[in-house]
Parts: sequence; structure tokens; C-alpha cells
Amino acid sequence: MGFLDALLGKSKLPKAKTERLFAISTASITLEVNLGLKPQGSAGICFKPMESSRYAAARLEIEELLSYSCKETGTDYKVQKDEFNYLWVILKDPDFEDLVTNIHLVTQTLIEHGFSEQLLCAIYRFEGESKVYWIYNYKQGAYYPFIPKGDHNRDNNLEFRLRSVMDSELPIEKNVEKWYPLWGIPI
Amino acid sequence: MRKWKTDWGLQGRMFFTMFLLAAVYLFFLVILSSQGAGMNVMLLFIGGFMFLQYFMSDKLVLWSMGAKIVSESEEPKLHETINRLCALADLSKPKVAVVQSSVPNAFATGRSPRKAVVAVTTGIMHTLNQNELEAVLAHELSHVKNRDVMVMTIASFLSTIAFFLVRYLMFFGGGGRDRNSGGIMAVWFVSILVWIISLMLIRTLSRYREFSADRGAALITGTPSHLASALMKISGIMPRIPKDDLRKVEGMNAFFIIPAISGSSFGSSLMNLFSTHPSVEKRIAALENLEKELER
Repeated sequence: MGFLDALLGKSKLPKAKTERLFAISTASITLEVNLGLKPQGSAGICFKPMESSRYAAARLEIEELLSYSCKETGTDYKVQKDEFNYLWVILKDPDFEDLVTNIHLVTQTLIEHGFSEQLLCAIYRFEGESKVYWIYNYKQGAYYPFIPKGDHNRDNNLEFRLRSVMDSELPIEKNVEKWYPLWGIPI
Repeated sequence: MRKWKTDWGLQGRMFFTMFLLAAVYLFFLVILSSQGAGMNVMLLFIGGFMFLQYFMSDKLVLWSMGAKIVSESEEPKLHETINRLCALADLSKPKVAVVQSSVPNAFATGRSPRKAVVAVTTGIMHTLNQNELEAVLAHELSHVKNRDVMVMTIASFLSTIAFFLVRYLMFFGGGGRDRNSGGIMAVWFVSILVWIISLMLIRTLSRYREFSADRGAALITGTPSHLASALMKISGIMPRIPKDDLRKVEGMNAFFIIPAISGSSFGSSLMNLFSTHPSVEKRIAALENLEKELER
């Protein structure tokens, strides 16, 4: 099917997979107990804005939902654009569960409005000896670790160690070629 | 709910072109075998040629363009833009190359998504802004995703058969051998005809695949207008580029975003039949239709 589509030049973007987004919630306990990685109370979603009035409406609704839901959970949020013109929804809350809930809320709202294809990733920040990001790739439906070190370098050793330790608890992207870095993550 | 309609018109035309190509070749092979031409030698020759074309083309292209593979630390922004597009479209990441040339252009090569290389010229990086460059890269990634190198290689392989037959028959057909010379002439005439028709069909196929790649780019970026403005910028600049650079890029038109050579001196309708790319006006019109679809 996919091959035939390709031959005929039909393009289809994969839809976002969200089933395993919640897995970080239990994994965070293991990360803290076994590896000394504490959640840093911040998380974010990165997605590609579209050129459409429906998109503008969706964005308004997300901000409304967020301001309502964040008041309830005591979460700070902001929306900002990066240098690649992708939008970030950045959430700050010392309670990790609230972060997971709000990330899920934003994800669902975007999907309900038909922007499933535009979702790039969700990111949770942890910290031990170094800054550790767990990135959820919506298209793969899996997490991968990203540990920036200095200028455009990453700590691959620690990333591989995290994979071997967390493999049983967290759905981790098997193909390391898809462990795309995101430099200058604003969270 | 955002929903992209399948462009059945485009799909149908593309399928029809492929079908016609195949039909023309079948017809050709029938004529050929009825004349008892020396197939073995030719098949070996053509097979070798196709092998070279298929397995070496990416290296040849990069070499002839003077494209240099760049690492993540050399071009961090270019790499990150491609990373994100690949993550959005769930593609494996191609290699990234840069051509030192003031001609603003971009191309993709490589027989499979795993072997693919996406190249941009320094000219296009200076000419376009981030949004437009992203749209152009998405267009090239769509070529990779649609396996256009493979499709076009197979299509032109078929036309290669015809082309070599024409040459073969020119050498041996007139040699006064003990054959029916009228029959040879007929085969010769047919193979020329086949060659012209197949070239036309291949070019048609190529134009449809450009439209498909434009559509794919609009789909990945969600912003058809960025590709449209990139096309306008590039095409507006093309005629003002010095001739030297144009000559360098002449061989590579099929996978360029805009062909560097435009043959405006020929009759325009005839040129349209043979050109590898649709006109910029048509592409922009198609992108504007996509834009309207997004608003629905």
C-alpha cells in the first residue's frame, strides 16, 4: 500500500500516535529512584503551525483550555515560536502528573481539530548530573533520550545507558537514526 | 476536520502516462522480435547501462554538481530543518549536501530513501528565508518519499532501449546485409517514433511528479504559500544568472526544483510537451488550490 502510494506520488502524512504518551508517568518514578534523574517541572509540545483560519481558531481554543485547566492544576504555561517558526506550548509545574495531564490535553485538542499530522514532539525535562530530555515523537509513538552537551554535541553514552535501563518501562524508539536532536529546547 | 482530498485527476493522468509508456514498449518489443534483431548483445549492453544509471546515478549527480556532503556541525540550521521535516513525515533522514553555486536551486537524488541525498545550492540558502527554504526542502523530501529517482530511472530505461536500437539499426541496417531492407527501414522508423513518443511521455510523467512533490511539500509544511513564494523568488532570478553557471547545471534538470535552462525560443506549446517541469505559473496555481482546500 505504502509502496504503491509512493509510486503514484500520493503523499500522506502519518497521524500522531498517542497511546504511549502516558508511559512517562510511571517511568518517571524509576528514573528518579534508579538513576537519580528528577523531573524538572517543565515540559513542552512542539508543533508546526498551519496556514488556515481553522488553525487560528484551534490555537485560540487551546489557549482558553490551557488557561482554564492550568488554573485548576496550578500550572504556568506560555506559547512561543522558535527560530524555525514551530510553535511551542511550554508548561511549568512542580507536580509531574499535572504536566502529563496538560500535555495530553493540548495533544488531544490539536488532534480533535484535525492537526494530528502537525504534531512534532512532546518533551519532558529531567535533571541528574546533567540535563536530560525525554522526547516523545508523535509519528513513531515512542520516546527517546536527548542529552545536549556543549555546542551541538550530545552525550551518546548516557543516552544508550538510559535506553538499556528504561527499555522495559518506556516505549523507546528502536531506530537510533530517528533520535533527532532539538538544539536550544526552550524548556 | 482537515482532510486532504486525493487528487484523482492527477493520479489518473499519472497512471495513464505510465500505462501508455508500457504499451509503447510492448508494441516496440513485438516489432523487434518479429524482425529477429540481435537481442542478446543489446540486452547485455542496455542492462549494464541501466545498472550503472541506477546504482551510480547518485554519486554521478553529486560529483557532476560539485555537491559536498555537509555534517551537522557545518550546517546546523539546514540539518535541523530537515530533521524536523523528517520527524513530521516519518522519513529516514537523507544525507545533506551543499553546492557552491550562486544559482538558487535544490535537488534530491539516490535510488531509495535510505540512500537519498538532498542538496541545496548556497544561492538558494541566501535567496530564500527560513519558511521558503523549508518548503523547498519539503518538496525535495517528497521526491525522495515518492521514489522519483527509481520511477524516472525505470521510465527512462525503457526509452534507452529504443534509443540504442535506433543507433544499432543505423549501424547495421544500411550495411547491405542479406535482409529485407524495407523491413529494416520500418523498424528504424518505428524505433525513432517510439523514442520521440517515449521521451514525451517521460517528460509528462516527470511534470506530474513535480506536481505531486509540490503537493507533498504543502502537506508536510501545512503552508502552500511558502513554496509558492519560493518558486516565484527562484524563477524571477533565474534569467539573470550568468551563463557559465547555467551550463554547469544543464545536465541535471530532471531533479531540480526549477530547470535552469529554459528554451523560450522554441514554440511554447511544443516546449511544454518536452519540458521536465511544469511552468511556474501552473505550479503556483496548483498551490493556490491547495491553499483553498486548507480553508475548507
